[in-house]
Amino acid sequence: MIKLQGVSKTVISADQLLTILHPLDLEVPAGQFLAVIGPSGSGKSTLLGLIAGLDMPSTGRILIEGINITTLDEDRLAELRGKKIGIVFQFFHLLPTLSAFENILVPLEIAGVDDATDKARALLGEVDLADRGHHYPSQLSGGEQQRIAIARALANDPPILLADEPTGNLDRKNGRQVIELLMEVNKGRGTTVVLVTHDHELVRRADVTISMRDGKAERIDEVVGQTGSVPAR
Amino acid sequence: MPFILRMAARELRSSWRRLFFFFLCVAVGVGAIVALRSLIQNVRVTLTAEARTLTAGDVYVRTDQPWTDEVLEIVDTRLTALPDFARTETVDTVTMVRLTDESNTLTKVVELRGIQEPFPFYGRIELGGGQSYSPALLEDHGALVGPELLVQLGLEIGDEITIGEVQFTIRDVILAEPGRQLGAFSFGPRVLVAYDAVGETNLLGFASRVEHQILIRVPDNTIEPLVDTLREDLQEAFVSVGSYRRTENRIERYLDRAENYLSLIGFVVVILGGIGIWSVTRVFVHQRRRSVAILKCLGAKTHCVLGVYVAQIVALGFGGSLLGVGVAGVALGVVPDSLAEQAATSTGTATVSTALTGSAVTQGLVVGVLVSVLFALVPLLDIRHVKPLLLLRQDQVQPTAQVDWLRVGVIGLVGSGLLVVAMWQAASLEGGVYVVGGFAGVAAVLHIISHGLITVIRPLSASRWFPLRHAVLNLTRAGNQTRVILLAVGLGSFFVIGVRGVQMNLLTNFSIQLRDDTPDMFLMDIQPDQADGVRGVLARAVDEVPRLIPVLRARVVGVNGPDTAIEGRRAVRRAGFGREYTVTYRTELAANERVLFGRFWDAGPSRVPEVSIEERLHERGIDLGDTVRFDVLGREINALVTSVRSVEWDDSRSGGFMFLFRPGTFDDTAPHTYIAFMKGPEEIEARGLLQSDVVTRYPNVSVIDGLEVIRMFRRVLDYVTLAITVVGGIALLAGGLILMGSVAMTKFQRLYEAAIFKTLGANTRVLTEMYILEYGVLGTLAGVVGSTGAIVLTWILTKEVFEIDWVLTPAINVGGVVVTTVVVTFVGVVSSVDVLRRKPLGTLRAE
Repeated sequence: MIKLQGVSKTVISADQLLTILHPLDLEVPAGQFLAVIGPSGSGKSTLLGLIAGLDMPSTGRILIEGINITTLDEDRLAELRGKKIGIVFQFFHLLPTLSAFENILVPLEIAGVDDATDKARALLGEVDLADRGHHYPSQLSGGEQQRIAIARALANDPPILLADEPTGNLDRKNGRQVIELLMEVNKGRGTTVVLVTHDHELVRRADVTISMRDGKAERIDEVVGQTGSVPAR
Repeated sequence: MPFILRMAARELRSSWRRLFFFFLCVAVGVGAIVALRSLIQNVRVTLTAEARTLTAGDVYVRTDQPWTDEVLEIVDTRLTALPDFARTETVDTVTMVRLTDESNTLTKVVELRGIQEPFPFYGRIELGGGQSYSPALLEDHGALVGPELLVQLGLEIGDEITIGEVQFTIRDVILAEPGRQLGAFSFGPRVLVAYDAVGETNLLGFASRVEHQILIRVPDNTIEPLVDTLREDLQEAFVSVGSYRRTENRIERYLDRAENYLSLIGFVVVILGGIGIWSVTRVFVHQRRRSVAILKCLGAKTHCVLGVYVAQIVALGFGGSLLGVGVAGVALGVVPDSLAEQAATSTGTATVSTALTGSAVTQGLVVGVLVSVLFALVPLLDIRHVKPLLLLRQDQVQPTAQVDWLRVGVIGLVGSGLLVVAMWQAASLEGGVYVVGGFAGVAAVLHIISHGLITVIRPLSASRWFPLRHAVLNLTRAGNQTRVILLAVGLGSFFVIGVRGVQMNLLTNFSIQLRDDTPDMFLMDIQPDQADGVRGVLARAVDEVPRLIPVLRARVVGVNGPDTAIEGRRAVRRAGFGREYTVTYRTELAANERVLFGRFWDAGPSRVPEVSIEERLHERGIDLGDTVRFDVLGREINALVTSVRSVEWDDSRSGGFMFLFRPGTFDDTAPHTYIAFMKGPEEIEARGLLQSDVVTRYPNVSVIDGLEVIRMFRRVLDYVTLAITVVGGIALLAGGLILMGSVAMTKFQRLYEAAIFKTLGANTRVLTEMYILEYGVLGTLAGVVGSTGAIVLTWILTKEVFEIDWVLTPAINVGGVVVTTVVVTFVGVVSSVDVLRRKPLGTLRAE
């Protein structure tokens, strides 16, 4: 469960205060697939960064699984991300000096998981790249890199997966594969997914969609029959 | 912890290439430390193992005056009281050797030693002819000579030489000889003859430098008691008593100082390497920001990420140190073979090992790793400021300008750490403080100068010429490597230019002293009845016959005055007046003298003996109005101090005397001799003929050719210059490595910029011009920084240390700037070749 209460973000730009996210209340129940759409600079990535604890809100509280993350320091946030939040980026952000397998291994080792190697191997299989584990990111295609990034994000079996335009840098075929993978994570594992995207197919298949413009959640589409609600103001 | 180590190991697989220069920076410094320390430690092992060989006995009693019956009786009484002992005597003097064939005018100053059985008690006299030494070789006026004498005089074994009034036959050459003073200044080749034969030469009564020695071999447990007893018994006599252990201790102290000094030089190189490490780490951290952000995103805490990078630095520091040890091993194995042989031969010991020592290797490794970590720590702290948000937004907010207390604390810790390492290497608190303080001072000054220079060139960024504009923009851009490179390369050129400047100043001063009327021949031990004869010989050879200066040899035995009371030989020694002084008398001041206090006497007759003292004696406690009691070969003279003089010691025309007496103090029967400083004939043959003339007629007179001394001085200066140039060279090498490292590290940034310039129409020529200008300006600035620092260094050293006139050396300073510019430009452009060749599309895609 993700809960935002009056969360806003204001930054100083050219000596002036600029609100990039206006106060927002948002509740994403466990297992929901939430899509966030909107043009560039509308505040989508800011919202995602705040939920991930990568950035601090100017006002409001953010609760992840009941924990108010706005009171946590950098290290506690890192620990929380390691256990409860997986993140997938548009530009994959794999560690270039590590092989695909080692990239998946890293979060497991940070968390001190005992059978890290077995788990990483299993995850490689889940994303259909069992035979590419020894390759370095530069030796993989964009789609393959993104699948490794998803496997890495799922390594510690987090209840929440955040994805920032995961198909934005992929061709149609690879994009489709990634979409299927994310749907499978959501449906199969029951993982809450918050997705920033321009991809219409992803929007269509999401449980809930919020559309952002100029830092405001302007419109909320709720697919009938899904659980949870997303009130906004 | 296992994660940190595993992660560090994985990163190292690729990062070691980027950190290759880090590796080299450590290796150069550690190599210097390990090689220098090992060499000295090996010499120490050999020398201390053979300390008895250096003394040639267990106990020695030495004096520069003839043995008195009283002293000999005391020594013999003490020896006969021992259960077992053996004694022998030696006598040493400096004298002239000439050829028996009088048609040949060659002469040579030699160190003559007379020995008797059973010398030596320890060690062996090794001969070049293959035969073993036996006293029979010295019988019937046999002589063993240093090999250089044969070469210099064109002699062979079996030829004859004349010393004093005696002809000697050369029986063999000496390769190694026990009982030589370590590190003593050498007047010339060694000549060994029988003890009694030295007496026959009739030189001992006249020569000014004679040392008599009794060497004793006693059981081990009686060495120290014997030394103590003899010292007590002979405290009022002008003799020194010691044991081989004292020699050992002296060697230990001497080598300790040498080892610590050389290690400090190595440490200075390590610090230069450390600057390189700091620079490389800074860029490395910048390039690794994304990886740091990813790790933080995946749940890694800051200290964990920091640990990953510190572990990499430790591994690389250790690897670089190992490489340094390897380099030191190779260097020691190859370079100083001749040096080791020379050291061994000159001390009469076995060959000095050139293997690395365990202690030097351990110290090198520890210093290498410590310095790596200390210098890398501050730039690594920037990892704390990398936010995982970087993965979503590049334009993340910079950290606030608040004081970063952790950083301040770590800088303090690093400074203290370096100070501790420096103190450890110098084995002294003072040495450590001087080196680290000096380094910090020089670095701060160079930093300020470079800051000023960058400000000066900034307006060029408005130039209309594209390559110049962008070259200057690159140099003045915030956060780039300009200041670091300026500091590192500037320090390197500062060392080299500074050393060259000092050398040139010394040589210039030397040649000023040598011009025109500067004496280049020195005559000593002329007896009063020989004075007229010597004048006659000199008059035939040179236009201007030099004044013969009367000299006596005197010792201070007491000083008394209103505020001074130094009584007894022990007190005199403690006060620093214990040595024998050569004194003279005259009615006027010499050209190189000036009265500081008191009044100099007039030409009238003296009522009481008066003496004028040199200012250093005044500093040591003798005052105007004091009465100094002298022992002049057994006669006691009490002289009143009536003036204090300063003496320009560099101006050698009139020599220099610590004590100058008013004429009338000594009567004609006082045992005085004459010395003379003169300008010898220009031609080598004429000089040889003059020396030969003097020595043939007056065998006891020594003629020292100043040109030889000058050559020796030049040789010593050359060695010193070579040593410092090597250090400066290593410093410059470190600077070059830092430069290459910095260029290599910023290559990725440059690749991107070059790709954009290329897509915008810039061709390779424009980019090459840009790089040449950028590195040319950088090199010029570094050269100017180094050269300016070097001028200051040269000024301080010439004025304060060498106490000579300072002259600006524009050729060296300008040449230094030019060479630095060329080297930096070459390295910079060559390192950027890859950037120039790379196709832009690939680079832009990768970004």
